[in-house]
Amino acid sequence: MEEERGKVRALIEMATNSTEREVDPRLLKAIKYVVRYSDPELRLAAQTLMDLMKRDHSQVRYLTLLIIDELFMRSKLFRTLVIENLDQLLSLSVGFRRNLPLPAPPAIATILRAKAIEFLEKWNATFGVHYRQIRLGFDYLKNTLRFHFPNLQANAARIQQERREREIKTKEILRNKFETLGQNLSTIKEEIQSTIDEIGECLDIIRAKEENMALAPLDDDDFEEFRSSELRQIRLDSLKEGEKVHENNDNTVVFDALRELYKLLMTKHMGSVQESISVLIRVEVPDNRLRDSMLKELIDIRNRLVLVKKKCEESGCALATNVKEEEEEDFWEEGKIGPTEKGSSSTPSKPKQKLQNLAVASTSGEIKNEQSDNNELRKTDSNSPRSKLLSEAPVVEWGSFLGNWGLDRDFMANQRGLELENHWGRVDYDAVIPAEKIAELNLQATFYKEEPVEIQPCRAPLRKGGLCQRRDLKVCPFHGPIIPRDDEGNPINQKNPSSDENPSSDENPIQKNSLIDDETSLDLGSDLSEQLAKQAIQNVRDREKEEGRKRKIDKQSLNRAKLAKVREHNEAVLRDAALASTSRSEAVGEDIDVTNGKKSSTRNKKKTLAFMLRKKVTTKDRLAQRLLNTRARDATTRQLTMGEEETYRENFPNQW
Amino acid sequence: MWKQIGGREAGQIRPNSFSNRVKSNRVSSLQLSNYKDIVSPHRGSINSLQVDLTEGRYLLSGASDASVAVYDVQRATDYEGDGLIAKHKSIVVVDKQHEQGHKYAVSSAIWYPIDTGLFITGSYDHYVKVWDTNSTQVVMNFKMPGKVYRTAMSSLATSHMLIAAGTEDVQVRLCDIASGAFAHTLSGHRDGIMTVEWSTSSEWVLVTGGCDGAIRFWDIRRAGCFRVLDQSQSQLGRRPPLLERSALNKVSTSKSSSGGQNLSAKSRPQQRKSTNGNGIKQSPIGRIPAKASVRQRLHPGMLSGQDRATAHYGAVTGLKVTDDGMYLLSAGSDSRIRLWDVQSGCNTLVNFETVRLQTSKAIQLATSQDPALVFVPCMTAVKAFDVWSGKTHMAFRGHYEYVNCCWFSSQDQELYTGGSDRKILVWSPSRLISDELVDHLVSVAFYFTFHFNFYLCALKL
Repeated sequence: MEEERGKVRALIEMATNSTEREVDPRLLKAIKYVVRYSDPELRLAAQTLMDLMKRDHSQVRYLTLLIIDELFMRSKLFRTLVIENLDQLLSLSVGFRRNLPLPAPPAIATILRAKAIEFLEKWNATFGVHYRQIRLGFDYLKNTLRFHFPNLQANAARIQQERREREIKTKEILRNKFETLGQNLSTIKEEIQSTIDEIGECLDIIRAKEENMALAPLDDDDFEEFRSSELRQIRLDSLKEGEKVHENNDNTVVFDALRELYKLLMTKHMGSVQESISVLIRVEVPDNRLRDSMLKELIDIRNRLVLVKKKCEESGCALATNVKEEEEEDFWEEGKIGPTEKGSSSTPSKPKQKLQNLAVASTSGEIKNEQSDNNELRKTDSNSPRSKLLSEAPVVEWGSFLGNWGLDRDFMANQRGLELENHWGRVDYDAVIPAEKIAELNLQATFYKEEPVEIQPCRAPLRKGGLCQRRDLKVCPFHGPIIPRDDEGNPINQKNPSSDENPSSDENPIQKNSLIDDETSLDLGSDLSEQLAKQAIQNVRDREKEEGRKRKIDKQSLNRAKLAKVREHNEAVLRDAALASTSRSEAVGEDIDVTNGKKSSTRNKKKTLAFMLRKKVTTKDRLAQRLLNTRARDATTRQLTMGEEETYRENFPNQW
Repeated sequence: MWKQIGGREAGQIRPNSFSNRVKSNRVSSLQLSNYKDIVSPHRGSINSLQVDLTEGRYLLSGASDASVAVYDVQRATDYEGDGLIAKHKSIVVVDKQHEQGHKYAVSSAIWYPIDTGLFITGSYDHYVKVWDTNSTQVVMNFKMPGKVYRTAMSSLATSHMLIAAGTEDVQVRLCDIASGAFAHTLSGHRDGIMTVEWSTSSEWVLVTGGCDGAIRFWDIRRAGCFRVLDQSQSQLGRRPPLLERSALNKVSTSKSSSGGQNLSAKSRPQQRKSTNGNGIKQSPIGRIPAKASVRQRLHPGMLSGQDRATAHYGAVTGLKVTDDGMYLLSAGSDSRIRLWDVQSGCNTLVNFETVRLQTSKAIQLATSQDPALVFVPCMTAVKAFDVWSGKTHMAFRGHYEYVNCCWFSSQDQELYTGGSDRKILVWSPSRLISDELVDHLVSVAFYFTFHFNFYLCALKL
C-alpha cells in the first residue's frame, strides 16, 4: 500500500515536473488508472495536488491545475475533497488575492489564470447545481471581482437557440405551405386534369389524321444493305421517325396547341407538383393521415403527368425533341457541322446519308432545314438574331469565370462559401474586389496553337517496289516535290507521259517545278482547287511584283520631287538674299535697284550655288556691319543666328 | 436516529433530551447549504445579521452600502436547478435610494425583540433609525454624536424599550423608543464603543466593549458601571458545579429581591460584597484580596485604578453573552477570544485556537446552546469553538473575503454568515434525516413496484 501511495505522488510529481503546455498523456492516464480503483489513492492525489498548487512556480501550478481538472470532471470524491478548499485553489490558480499574486513566469501565469477561469466556468456549468462552493466561487469572481469569463457555454447555448429558432421558423413556413396546399389541392388537380384532357384530345385528333394517311412501308427494299446492328438501329430509328406524324399545314394548329399544353404541363404543373411533394415530405404535422393521402394523390398525379409527357413525346416526337432540345441543338450547331462534313469527306457513312436522304439532302442542308422548320413552327424571329449573335460570339476556353459572364458587379473577397479560419489575423468579411479587377483577373490568355498539319507521304514508287513513305513538308530529297499520286505512285494531275519521268530519282526539282507550272497552265480540270490556289498565288505574286515596281517608281518620283523642292527652296533663298543685299546697299534709289536686283538675281541664278552662297554671305555681313550700325539689334540677332546657320549649312550643303 | 425515536416512543428518553440530541446531531453536521441560497442585494460588505427572535423566520442584514434587507429564510421565493436550489430573495430592501435611508454604511441592524414590525439600524452617518417593517418607513430617528458601531436591544426587557448604541463617542447612549429621546448616557469608556450587548439574564444589565479594550457592565438603574473586566483576573475552568452555587444562593437570598426578578447571576457579587467583605470572588484561586477590597470600596461611583482594567489588548471587537447569561465571550483585536464568567468577572483562561481575527471592524459572534459552541468569524472563515475547551470544532470556509458577522438560528440549527464578499451564506445540517427517509421510501417503493411487476407478470401468464 505504501508503495502504491508513493506511486501516485511520484506520478503526479513527474507529470507536473515538465515545461510542456500539456500534461504528458501517458502519465495522466497512469494517474487516472491508479486513482480509479482506490479512494485513499485519490485522497492522497488530492492532497498532493493541493500541495503542488502551493508551489511557487506557475508552470507547476498550471500542470497541476490540468490534472485537477481531469480528476475533477471524473470523480465525485475528488470533487468533494477539492471543493472544501476551493477558495484556496482559486486564489492559487486565479491569483485574485492581492497579497497572493501568481508566481514567477508571468506568461505562464496569465495562461494559468485564463485556464483556471475557464475551468471554473466549466465546473460551474457542469456541477454548479450540486456544489454551492463552485457557484459561490464563480459568482464571486464574476460579479464581485468582475473577472471576464469566456462564456463558452452561453455562446454555445445561444447558437443552439438560434438554430432551433430557425428550424421552428422553417417548420412554420412549411406548415403554412401545407395548409395552403391543402386548400389549393383540388384546384390544382382540376387544372392538371383539364390540361391532360386537352392534350389527350389533341393527340386523338392527330392520331385520327394519321390513320387516314397511308404509310408507305419502306422496310423491305434495302434491308440487306445494313451490315452492322448499329446501322440497323439507325435505320429503325429513321423508320420510326418516318412513321411519326409530321406536321403539315393541316394540323399546325393542333400541334401548336399541343405544344403549348405540353409546355404548360412541363413548366407549371410538373414544377408545382414536385414542389408540393417536397413540402409534404418535409412538413411535420400532427395529423399524418391527411398528409399521407395528399402525398399519395400527388405522386399519382405526377406519375400521370410523366405518362402524358411520354405520350406526347412519342406521338409528336419532333415537337417534343424540338421543343426540348432546341436550345441545345442551336448551341451545338456549329460544332456539329464540322464532324459531319469531315465524315462526308473522309468516310462517308451510307446509312446516315440515307437517313439524310429520307429527310433532306445533305447534313448542312438538314440543319438549315431544321432551322427553317423551327422558324416555321414557332413563328418567331428569335432564332435569326440568336444565330447571328452566335456567329459573332467569341470562342472562349471553358473556365469557371464563365459562370460570371457579363456580370458587372463587385465580388465579396472573403465569402467564398468556405469557412476558412484565417491564421494570419482578422478576416474582413466585407472586403470587396471591384468589378474592374475581376475583369482584369478573368482576362483569358490565348495561346497560339499550330494547326495540325497532316504531312503527306511522298508515295513515289521505289525501285524495289512499294511507295516512298518519307514524309516531307514540300520536297522529298529523293523524289522531288510532293505531289498527289495515285495508288501506284503516279502523279495524279499529270496525264501526260511525264508519269514515266516522275519516278526517276535524279530529276532536277527546278525543272520539275517549271514542268508543273506548265502543266498547271495546261490543264485546270484535274485538280481544280490546287490549280486555283496556284493561280491565286501567282496572282498575289504578280500583284506584289507590280506593287514593288510601283513603289520603286514612287520612290524615284518622290526623290525627284524632293530634289525639285530643295532646288526651289534654294532659289527662293537666293532671291531673298539678293533682294536684301540690294535694298540695304542702296537704300535711296529704290526703283532702279529693284530692277537691278532683279537682273542681278537672274544673273546670279546662273552662277554656281556654292560660289554664290559664299559671296552672298560675306557681302551681306560686311554690308550689314558697315552700313547699318544704327540697327544694332538686327546685327546682333544675325550674329547670334550665324552659328546655327553654319551648322545648318554643314549638314545640308546643298540646301540653304 | 431511529433507535432514539424508538426510545422516545417507549418513554425511555425525555422529550427535552431527545430534542437536544437531535439538535446537537444536526449542529455537529453543519455544512454549506447547497439547497438554500440567500440572494443578497447588497453591494458592500455585510456587517450585521440577525434572525428575528419571535418567529425565527426573517433574516435582517445590514451592509456597508447603506442597505438593509429582510429575507424569509423559511420560504423560498423561487427555485433553481429543478427545484433543488431554493433561492431566498430579499422581501424588503432599504438602500440609498430610499429617501429616508442611511447615507453611509449600516453597521448594525437588529430586530425589535418583541415582534418583526420594527427594526433598528445604526449607521456610520451618525443616525440610529427605527423602521416600520411593513411600510419600510422610518418611525424614529436618533442623532448620535459619531459613527454608530453597534446597537442592541434587550431580548428580555419588559419594562423598557431602550436601544443601546455604541458609537465613536466614549459614551454609550440609550435611546428610548417610547419617548424618542436619549434615556441615558453612560460614560466610562475612554474610547469609542465597538460593541454593545444586553445581558440575557437581566433586562437591566448592559455589557459594552470599547476600543480602549475594556468591557464594562452597566446596571441601567444606577449611575456608572459596576464592573470592568480584567484579563489578569482569572479563574481556571468552569464555575463550580451547580449544587454549590445553589447552596451559596440560598445563603445569600436576603437581598436578591432588590435586584429584580432574574438577575441572579449578576446580583450575586453585589450581595457577596455586602455580606462578606474579602470573599468577593467565587474563584477557586481567590488571590489578591487587597485589590478586591479596593474594588469593593470604589464600586458605586467607581473612579480608580481598577477602572482602568482591560479585557483585551487593543479594542474589544465582539461580545456575546451565552444564552443562559452566565458567561460572556469577547473577541478582541489582539486576535483573542476570552470566556468570562459573568458572576465572578474572571477570565476563565480558555485557550481558543484562533488564528487571526479581523481587527478593524466589529465582528458579530454567535453561540449555540447545546453543544456549547461559539461561532467566530476568523478572517475568511468562520470557526466553531467548543466554549469550554476552546478546541476548534468546525471551520466553515466559503467566503472569499473577510467574514464580519454570523448568526446562529437555534430554531433551525442553521448558521448564517455574512462577509465582505457581499454574500450571505447559509450553513445548515446535512439532510441526514430526510436522506434516510428518502432512502427508506425509495426502498419501500422499489419493493412495491417489484411486487407489482411480479403480479403483472403472473397475470399475463
